[in-house]
Amino acid sequence: MGVIKDQDYWVRLVEECFRREAGPQAALPAPRQDLIETGALDSMGWVSFLRSLESASGISQLGTLLTQRTPSLESIFQVIRETQTVSTVDVLDTVASLPVSSRDRTQLSAFLVSSGAAVGSRTVSSEDIDRAFGMPPGKLRLRAGIESVAYAEENESELLLGARAAHQSLRSVACGAQELDWIIATGETHRGYPSLSAQLHSQLLVRETCAALDVGGACLGLLNALAVAQGLIASGRARTILVVTSDVHSRVLRPGKVAGEFGGLFGDGASAFLLRAVASSAPQLGYLLGEFFFGCAGQYAGAIRVADSPNGNLDVHFDGEALSRAAITRMEKVLLDVELRSGIARSSVLGLATHQPNPRLVTLLAKQLGLPTEKFPSVARTFGNLGSSTCGAALDAILQAARDPLTKKPGPIFLASLGPGLLFGGGWLTRA
Amino acid sequence: MTKLLITEITRMGPAFCVIGLQREKEKIRSVRPVTATANSWLHFPYHRGDVLQCDLAPFSGSKPHIEDRVSTRGFQKESAVPEPEVVTFLRKAEMAESLRELFGCALHENRSGGAFAKPPEATRSVCGTVTQNLRLELCGDELRATLVLSSGEVLRDLPVVDRDWRNFVDAALAENRGANRVPRLERFLNSQFHYKVLSCPHHFIRLGLTRPYHELCWLMLDTLIPLPKHEWLEEF
Repeated sequence: MGVIKDQDYWVRLVEECFRREAGPQAALPAPRQDLIETGALDSMGWVSFLRSLESASGISQLGTLLTQRTPSLESIFQVIRETQTVSTVDVLDTVASLPVSSRDRTQLSAFLVSSGAAVGSRTVSSEDIDRAFGMPPGKLRLRAGIESVAYAEENESELLLGARAAHQSLRSVACGAQELDWIIATGETHRGYPSLSAQLHSQLLVRETCAALDVGGACLGLLNALAVAQGLIASGRARTILVVTSDVHSRVLRPGKVAGEFGGLFGDGASAFLLRAVASSAPQLGYLLGEFFFGCAGQYAGAIRVADSPNGNLDVHFDGEALSRAAITRMEKVLLDVELRSGIARSSVLGLATHQPNPRLVTLLAKQLGLPTEKFPSVARTFGNLGSSTCGAALDAILQAARDPLTKKPGPIFLASLGPGLLFGGGWLTRA
Repeated sequence: MTKLLITEITRMGPAFCVIGLQREKEKIRSVRPVTATANSWLHFPYHRGDVLQCDLAPFSGSKPHIEDRVSTRGFQKESAVPEPEVVTFLRKAEMAESLRELFGCALHENRSGGAFAKPPEATRSVCGTVTQNLRLELCGDELRATLVLSSGEVLRDLPVVDRDWRNFVDAALAENRGANRVPRLERFLNSQFHYKVLSCPHHFIRLGLTRPYHELCWLMLDTLIPLPKHEWLEEF
């Protein structure tokens, strides 16, 4: 991401990169000199020179933009001028598209331009889950409302599901992985190293200079990640960011390791979202990220605690009743705060992408808020609680609905989630 | 007389380098026919999958290009093998799953990330591998590939020298294709390319080493299967 710089800066940068490739004593070629034809650089050296410049300048598309142009310094400066002009126009266009009240405090806004989601390929009925955990058949369906759960196949992992969702998101707007400035990953089950974001970095073949960051928060992870991405874009340090959530609970919360009342609720899934500083590449799907707010209601911290025990098992403390009460109360409060802060009536939203501890609680939450349950995409009912990816899968479903031509005027989207702690967060998206 | 299944045709400047598979008892190995005076062919009217009859004489090519053989007379096409079958044979030839196995030596990278092998260390100059993901991009008129091997190791910015893919890109950028040719091609490479190539059941690549240049052999993407189809040009 290039912040607007003066001409002297670019001249110095180009000269320095050229000498790194051609040698410190090499004379600087004339501006229009064809660097390859005149032998100043061979084709390998030319690409290497461009890669150095891309890395130093932050203009990641420099090489592509120089395709079908004379390989000369003049062409390079021309492309730099063009990208700098585009950057300026982008900022002005983006700010102009915002409500007047937002302009003075917005440097550059983040737009969500595409999404993807993936769930484990193996569908298991809730009765089979009951049996596996030694519970009476029908318990999960009756108590939690879960009909089936998506489990990862043996070859599916957080990386594979996350990459699958990421590919969907990138391909749907023909965004090349090389365009990404950051990958921000979150999930509550990936425990090894390299971290999930680092593995995604390799799997997606992004540029080496693309940063990779993992954020925590368990089920609140998606909102944390979106808020971080928004901050990076607003500060001008990134133009294109991929946010990925991925959770494979079925390998951690196994029968014999945890109680079925807890472990049986969870499924495996992933989601991915592409954020850009401008929405021009996919105006039909662009959603502007509104404000995010967060907090931690420590009084409920004891309702759920998960820790490694010395014998290698998971030590899970799960007070289902207390957690359900806290979840409903807090989610309702968060969503009412979203309504208040955004000035958007909850009745007008296209959908609510919220955490879904289980389908029963979603139904209860909808009732408390006076909203039809259809506003909450059915994720937990068919796939189980997907951890950080529940909110992501729900958001993806709402965005897919927004793309449906039958959806005449897609409304705003509310986001709300919770994490152990009891962490909470909310935010909203409005149509760009 | 030797039967050679043509698997590589690479564009190196104005000439072509050719590699084929030769069966030797139970083994299948790569052989690179060269002329007595040059490593490449200015004219090579054959295609991948062609089975050619030729006469090859041993040649003490310098390491790591141990596959070199001198062709002592012209080629004669005998038959052709479909693309999936070519891959079946390629999988029986030189194969690797990790960077270290590719050319039997450690690989190094220069300041800007280009990968190379040191000629005395490398034990061969061509090898097949399976990729978890692969991306092509244009950079200043050059086609470059970045890929991740099944070992999870990444190779960045390899020059793509596959004749058919280079020709495809040239055709996509031809003036008679109208406006915005570069962004259109870029869009194809970022979207449909993935569906067409990575989801192809016989997707396969072969990597090669350049001749020593300033005492280093640089990695290249020699072959990317499936080969591009002309009708894909109508899709973007």
